[in-house]
Formats: sequence, C-alpha cells, structure tokens
Amino acid sequence: MNKKIVVVAGLALALAACGKEGGGTTGGESAAAPKPGEKPGVCLVMKSLANEFFQQMQKGAEEHAAKRGDLTLSVVGIQNETDIDNQVAAIEKCVTQQAKAIVIAPADSRALVAPLKRAVDSGVKVVNIDVQLEEGAMKSAGIADKVPFVGPDNREGAKQSGLELVKAVGKDAEVVILEGNPGAANATQRKAGFEDAIKEGGLKLVDSKTAHWETNEAHTVFGNMLTAHPNIKGVLAANDNMALGALKAIEEQGKKEQIKVAAFDNIPAIASYVRSGAVVSTLDQYGAQQAANGIDYAMKMIAGENISGWQKTEIKLITKDNVG
Amino acid sequence: MIKRLVLGEAGIGVALVVLAGFFVLAAPNFATEQNLRNIMTQITLNTVLAVGMTFVILVGGIDLSVGSSMALCAVVSGTMMAGSSSPATLIGAILVSVLVGGVVGWLNGFISEQWRVPSFIVTLAMLNIARGAAERYTDAATIYNLPAALNDFGTLTLIGIPAVFWVAVLLAGAGWFVLSRTVFGRLIYATGNNEEAVRLSGHKTSRIKIAAFVIAGFTVGIAAILYMARLNIASPILGQGYELNAIAAVVIGGASLMGGRGSMVGTFLGACLLGVLTNGLLLMGVSDFERQIITGLVILVAVVLDAYRLRLARKLAVTQPAQPAAPNPVAS
Repeated sequence: MNKKIVVVAGLALALAACGKEGGGTTGGESAAAPKPGEKPGVCLVMKSLANEFFQQMQKGAEEHAAKRGDLTLSVVGIQNETDIDNQVAAIEKCVTQQAKAIVIAPADSRALVAPLKRAVDSGVKVVNIDVQLEEGAMKSAGIADKVPFVGPDNREGAKQSGLELVKAVGKDAEVVILEGNPGAANATQRKAGFEDAIKEGGLKLVDSKTAHWETNEAHTVFGNMLTAHPNIKGVLAANDNMALGALKAIEEQGKKEQIKVAAFDNIPAIASYVRSGAVVSTLDQYGAQQAANGIDYAMKMIAGENISGWQKTEIKLITKDNVG
Repeated sequence: MIKRLVLGEAGIGVALVVLAGFFVLAAPNFATEQNLRNIMTQITLNTVLAVGMTFVILVGGIDLSVGSSMALCAVVSGTMMAGSSSPATLIGAILVSVLVGGVVGWLNGFISEQWRVPSFIVTLAMLNIARGAAERYTDAATIYNLPAALNDFGTLTLIGIPAVFWVAVLLAGAGWFVLSRTVFGRLIYATGNNEEAVRLSGHKTSRIKIAAFVIAGFTVGIAAILYMARLNIASPILGQGYELNAIAAVVIGGASLMGGRGSMVGTFLGACLLGVLTNGLLLMGVSDFERQIITGLVILVAVVLDAYRLRLARKLAVTQPAQPAAPNPVAS
C-alpha cells in the first residue's frame, strides 16, 4: 500500500514541474532532471512585443531553442511595457502549465517579485533577464539567492560610450544627458554610467532630462536644452531613438560641426550617423541574445546547477572603426 | 464689443501673451529667433492634429485614435518611400498617408453614425486597431532611410519660419476659412448645437459628422508626413498620447466637448499656449515631474476660466438681447 503511494507520488513528480504535494521534498528535487526523451518546458515571459528590441530578443530566443533542441519554449508577451497585471498572469499560467523554468524580462522590478516567489516555491527555476529585479525586494521575499540576473552591465556600457564622447569634445566641454523613463532600472544605470564618464573626463554637465526613450520628445527636449545652453558640445543619449531626435535638432539649428552625440543600443537606423561621425559611439548589448542567454542558464539550473547573482553578458562599443 | 471680446478668443490670446511675457523675463534665451523657430517646429504636429480634432469636437464627437492612426499612416507611407529617391514615389507616399488617414477617419465616423455608437468608444477601439495594424505592418521595426528630399523639407525655413510650420499655419487657415466662411462650416456648428434642427431643415447630419471625422483623418495623414520630415524615421510606436494633446489644445482654445462651440483661432492659440509652456518650462530648467504638474494645472485653469467666461457671456446676452442668435457665435 505504502509502496504504491510512493510510486504514484514519484510519477506525479516526474510529470509535474511543481509537485506541491511533495511535502517534505524541496522544490529543487521536484524539478529534477527530466526523463530521457521528455523535453522540459521553458516559459519566456517578455515585455511589450510591440518593441523592436523585444521582437529581436524573442526571435533570437526561438532560434536558439530550436538549435538546442532539448527544450520546449513558449513565449508570452504583454501589450505594453507597463502592463504589470498581465505579466503576473503570464507567470501564473507558466506555473500552472508546469514549466520547468521561467525566463522573465520584468515589466517592473518590484511588482513581479511576489509572483516569482510563488513560482520558485513551487519548484520552477527562475532566470531574470533585461531589467534587474530589485535586490531588496528579492531579499525580503527570500529568493535573492535563487534567481540569477543574466544581462549586460548598462552602467559600464554607458560609461564606455560616454568616454568616447570625452575623446571627441575634450575636457571642460558642456554636455547634456537625455535620460530614459524615470524609474526604469536600465535608464538609471545608463545615466549613472554617463555621469561616471563625465566625471572621469572632466566634462561639464549642464542639464539632464528624460525624453522617455522617444525620438520626437528628444527632439523637443534637446532643442530647448540647446537654446538654454548654446555652448553645448556633446549629448549623451540613453538610447539611439533619442539620439536620432537630438541629431535632427542639431541639424535644424545648424550646429552639426559643434555637437557630437554618444548613444546606446546600436539600432540599424543609427549606423549611418556613426559612419558620418555625428554619433561618436553607441553600444551593442546584444539584445537579441539576452533571452537566449537566459535560456542557457535556465537549462543549467534545471540540470541541477545552483546559480545566483549577476551573470554579466557581453557588451561591445561601436564606433566609426567597427560599425557595420 | 465687450461681448465679442468675452466670447471670442481674446481670453486665450491674453493668456498666451502673459505666459510669453513671463518667460521672456524668467527663461534665459526664450525670446531669441532660434527659440521661436524651435517652438514653431515643436508645436507643428499638435497644431495639425488639433485642426482636425476641432471639426470632430465641434460636431460633438471626439477622436481618440489620432495618435495610433498617425503611426499607421507613417509606417505605410514610410515603408513605401524608404530607400527611394524618386519624386513620384515621394508624392505617392504622401497621398497614401493622407488616404490611409482619411479611410480610418471615415471608418470612425461611419461606424459611430451607422450604429449610433458614441465616437468615444469607436475611436477608442480604433486606437487599438490602428496601433496593432502599424505594429503588424512593420513587425514593430523602425523605418529609416527615408528620402533625402523629405528630410530637407523638414529642416527647410521660409522667411525665417520652418516650412513644416507653414504647413500647419496653412491648414489652420484653411480650417478657419471652412468653418467661418462656408455653408459646410455653418452646418458643422449647427449640427453640434442642435442636430435635430439641422436634420429637420433637410440636411443629412450623419454625412456632416462623417465628413468631420474624415477631415480629422486627413490631418492625421499630413501630420504623419510632417513627423517623418522632421525626424527622418517612422516608427509604429510613434504618436502615443498625441490625441490627448490635440484635445487639450482644442479645449484650451475654448471649445466645448458637447459640440457646437469652439473656433480654429482658439485651437491654434491653444496649441501655441501648450507649446510655449513646454518650451519655457524646459528653458527655465523645471524638472520633468513638475513640468507635468504645471501643464495639467494650466489645462484645468483654462477650462475653469472658460466656464466663467460662458457664464459672463450669458449674462451679457440677457442684458443685450438685440443680437441675433447666430448658429456659430464663436466662429471667427
């Protein structure tokens, strides 16, 4: 009798990623290596699929999963980047569908911690990509040592891009920063990186404002900055889209020779400006590969490895010399 | 005379002058030629969208889809002309943009008239549909490599004034002419004031209302081209929230969301006021968060003052009953 129960329970555990009835068994064991021939399910929870960046990331992930061939990938996206509720629902769906691991680009660095803790508690491995979950919130939820962050060092990247601007405009030059969305972790980190470069290079920061990652707003904001500070020599834009807006304002005000731009992201539209020298640098953080990297770590964790903390991924400075 | 001043756009005009005067004193470099040019380019899009929105609001409707349909117009025409330098393609793309806008506008108007659904809901649905369509059309990619001629037009100035702003001024002028000097314009006001009366006098009000939405759609198509001329890219995520800026300009300009009251001059001044406000606050170095709060407060003050203005106007109307009741008391 007893033996039978054990067998049944064992079967249930083998089939389920999150055998809650496991009682004494820890989550780690319940999500142990799958039976031969059975591919583990990995859930990729994305942000807005309306964003080119996440589209590429998803494409990269799907190609990577097909190449690996040892997992079943399902991708869930949300309507826009602040649609937190739907992301929570997506996580719950992944747990219900008994995925072995969740790879997530969180829409909010705090709000997603609680649902992710529930996932971790039911034995699902969680890998954080793109925007880092807040450490304090993770610690108080007790999952800080269970959820690794796989992603680039935005601060270091922004600093590298900023230092190229230092070379181009020289010491004491007046510069401004165009920030990303207030409160977004990558926006904060990029700003910090730019500030590091400004400090190290001895530049003079005269203004710093958000243009919400957006071209038209950057055009307005930077156009006005230039009026307020006519001697601006350099712009540090936290993404390429904002750099494009600033470039148009520079062109309109006839200051092409005077002002150089440092940017971030390396989108196709920026390449011609890098070639012409108007943009001295941008930074490729291999966005398309971020989700793929996350999947690799998730698979390692499913295989039993314990991984936590920040797993830094590759970044590459793009200048006139190596632009495609 | 007093009545005209109170009823007309004098209020918003005075507010604009006071605000500009304040920034001349408080914001460094505000009153420079370059900055005035900046303000003009910055308010171009909103002015164009607000011109179309005025027609829709005057017939008692609202169009929440303008930002999204602008993105749709931009990606469709942008894809068409990307990488091309032929003038024919450029002109074709401009026409396509205006056409796509017009079709979306017609759908908005037709659906809400045919099934008597409030345009608020229809255009809210269209906001999603157009955005989704734009994203689907480009797979969410940003379009660049637009014709150099378009880019040149975006930076061109004529008599010291940006060419794109000339387009906005011309459109506002045309809108003013239609609203205040044509029978169609009178019908627009009359439909907003008393739809039943217009119907009883033998006019098809649904046609007038659909026409207002189509006009708004045309302006959206033009705004999309101006966006690309100015920024040299087209993105399916452009224009988010633009509908609200356009509505704000129209309402600050003294229009009633119930329809029948408002004017093109008011709308133009409303768009200028919003643009001057953003520009001046940025020059003063006001932080992003405070800037949002102040912009919101200005919209509130504008509508509250407008309510006062109306009450005063009614009082004056009672004391001077000799004035004939024109269907468009504010049209000028």
